[in-house]
Amino acid sequence: MKKKVSKKKISVEAKGITKSFGDFQALKGITANIYEGEVVVVLGPSGSGKSTFIRTINGLEEHNSGEITVNGIPLNDDVKNRDVIRGQVGMVFQQFNLFPHLSVLRNITLAPQKVKKLSKSESEELAMSLLERVGIPEQAEKYPAQLSGGQQQRVAIARALAMQPKIMLFDEPTSALDPEMIKEVLDVMIELAQSGMTMICVTHEMGFAREVADRFLFFDEGLIVEEGTPDHFFNNPQEERTKLFLSQIL
Amino acid sequence: MILLNWIRENFFGTKLDVAMTITGVLFIYFVLSTVISFILNSDWTLIMVNRQLMLTGLMPQEEIWRIWTIFSLTSILMTISISFWFKINIKGSIFYILLLLIPFLIFTTKNTVLYVLLIMFISIVFFYLGHRSKNSKLKNIVSKIIMISWIILLPICFLILNILDGPKMTLWGGFMINLILAAIAIFAGFPLGILLALGRASSYKLIKLVSTVYIEVIRGAPLVAWLLLAWFVLPKFLPNLFGLSDINIVVRAMIVLSLFASAYIAEVIRGGLQSIPKGQEEASFALGINSISTTIFIVLPQAIRIVIPTVVSTFIAIFKDTSLVFILAITDLLRIGRLIPEQQQAFFGKSIESLAVVALLFWVVSLVLSQISRTIEKKLNI
Ligand SMILES: Nc1ncnc2c1ncn2[C@@H]1O[C@H](COP(=O)(O)OP(=O)(O)OP(=O)(O)O)[C@@H](O)[C@H]1O
Ligand SMILES: [Mg+2]
Repeated sequence: MKKKVSKKKISVEAKGITKSFGDFQALKGITANIYEGEVVVVLGPSGSGKSTFIRTINGLEEHNSGEITVNGIPLNDDVKNRDVIRGQVGMVFQQFNLFPHLSVLRNITLAPQKVKKLSKSESEELAMSLLERVGIPEQAEKYPAQLSGGQQQRVAIARALAMQPKIMLFDEPTSALDPEMIKEVLDVMIELAQSGMTMICVTHEMGFAREVADRFLFFDEGLIVEEGTPDHFFNNPQEERTKLFLSQIL
Repeated sequence: MILLNWIRENFFGTKLDVAMTITGVLFIYFVLSTVISFILNSDWTLIMVNRQLMLTGLMPQEEIWRIWTIFSLTSILMTISISFWFKINIKGSIFYILLLLIPFLIFTTKNTVLYVLLIMFISIVFFYLGHRSKNSKLKNIVSKIIMISWIILLPICFLILNILDGPKMTLWGGFMINLILAAIAIFAGFPLGILLALGRASSYKLIKLVSTVYIEVIRGAPLVAWLLLAWFVLPKFLPNLFGLSDINIVVRAMIVLSLFASAYIAEVIRGGLQSIPKGQEEASFALGINSISTTIFIVLPQAIRIVIPTVVSTFIAIFKDTSLVFILAITDLLRIGRLIPEQQQAFFGKSIESLAVVALLFWVVSLVLSQISRTIEKKLNI
């Protein structure tokens, strides 16, 4: 069941983004538009700049030049803009990054309370409904260390969703998981994609990508080398580097 | 048989083990016999005569009720906190009780035994109340009340010492002054230390510079030097600034100790801050939480948990350092312990007896502090 992507409304607009760490240039001019409701999978070899790219979108890495606009708001030196964008963009990390000193429930309610000023009962109601959605309402009172990796990552997704974001960023969300737990996280992500969420996912899970991706971006050495539909990539890749990469992971 | 085997394996396994066991046993025998024969053969009237002096210094008799009030409030608060926040285990409790019994046995007199029993009784009642409210609906309220009580305890103690025309601060002394100074240094030094640690980790260059210079300057000289500075130099160079030249010696000692403590605590907490993975901050930022809230709710609580054992060692060190205030002519416990055998004819030359009691008091408090830290560690699963 594929939903329709309106090719009109742009969620994330990136124009010629560059980013250097010291002498090393990790992004060498990335230009891409992500449309509302679209699921974009970012592929590429290690060190090609995938993480750096999605981290510039919510300002975790400051880009050196180029323009990023999220839901019409320019990401620039204005801290207010950056904070508004962060409220609209959820992020899920490879290492979960749950807050170990807070219970699962508190992990999820903290941001709605501090940022959106929701009351305790409102935010807890929201948190419980999200835990329901990711399938672990019974874990609400536990602490992150008491959960399995798959459960922790599902809490992390619920935590990000609690801010009711318009866009979700995923940076290799299943890479730190034991194989038997990957599916439970992917199922949540598939459900999210089908609900119409705009998603940018760095992932090597090709089954997932084939099922929900609208478009692939292939990164190499800080540039987008090739982009297109999953069909295009699986059947008819053009660039040598893309072919080599796909042959290694498929 | 099992016991015998265990002994053989652990104490007589190899030739080295045998040698160590024999040396160890001889050593323990030597130490114990010396200590016991010392205790039995010494004349402890020195303590009996001077116990009030040792505990409260030159505080006049008619003012002692203030000390009793503070003592009762603190005991009650401590017992209710322990019963409310911690799981009680029998072994630990017996240890605490035995430990605290030592000073009580030494320092309780016929006149005070009633007070002590009364305080014990009230404490036990509160212990029970704390235990009961742990699982009741009032849990959250009680927890808040206890927390607030701890915060206002120190100001209240000061109030009690000063209301109704209290004794001059210069009359404060004995073990009480060590405890008061340590409490002030810890309560003032801890928040200040947190601010300094955050300052040193800050990305604002000026704040970072000021915090770094402060910490390094304070740690660059021994406490004795700072106390001497407060004694001689402050009045000369800061004639009217904040009235520093007029304020009495005890307050000066409090200021110096607090500032000194804050620098050391700051470094400990900075270590904790550095050990929190970058991902914690990033996750919080990614949720749209600003950097101040991120520090307060995410980074700092984790950092402090990690450094609790080290912070408590710093507290213990500061507590023992309070004995250096004799430099400011404050009659703290150690000073009294040295003056008794010098000035009281009946006890000329009885330094060892006198200092042994001084050491015992410091030891008991330090041990209780480190036990509390271990309990907290266990509770937090560090
Ligand atoms: N904070 C940093 N400081 C210095 N170099 C960095 C930093 N972050 C990333 N880099 C470098 O930038 C390049 C791109 O990194 P990035 O993490 O974006 O790669 P990636 O495509 O996500 O790779 P992977 O698949 O291994 O996660 C790498 O060469 C990396 O070493
Ligand atoms: Mg990466």
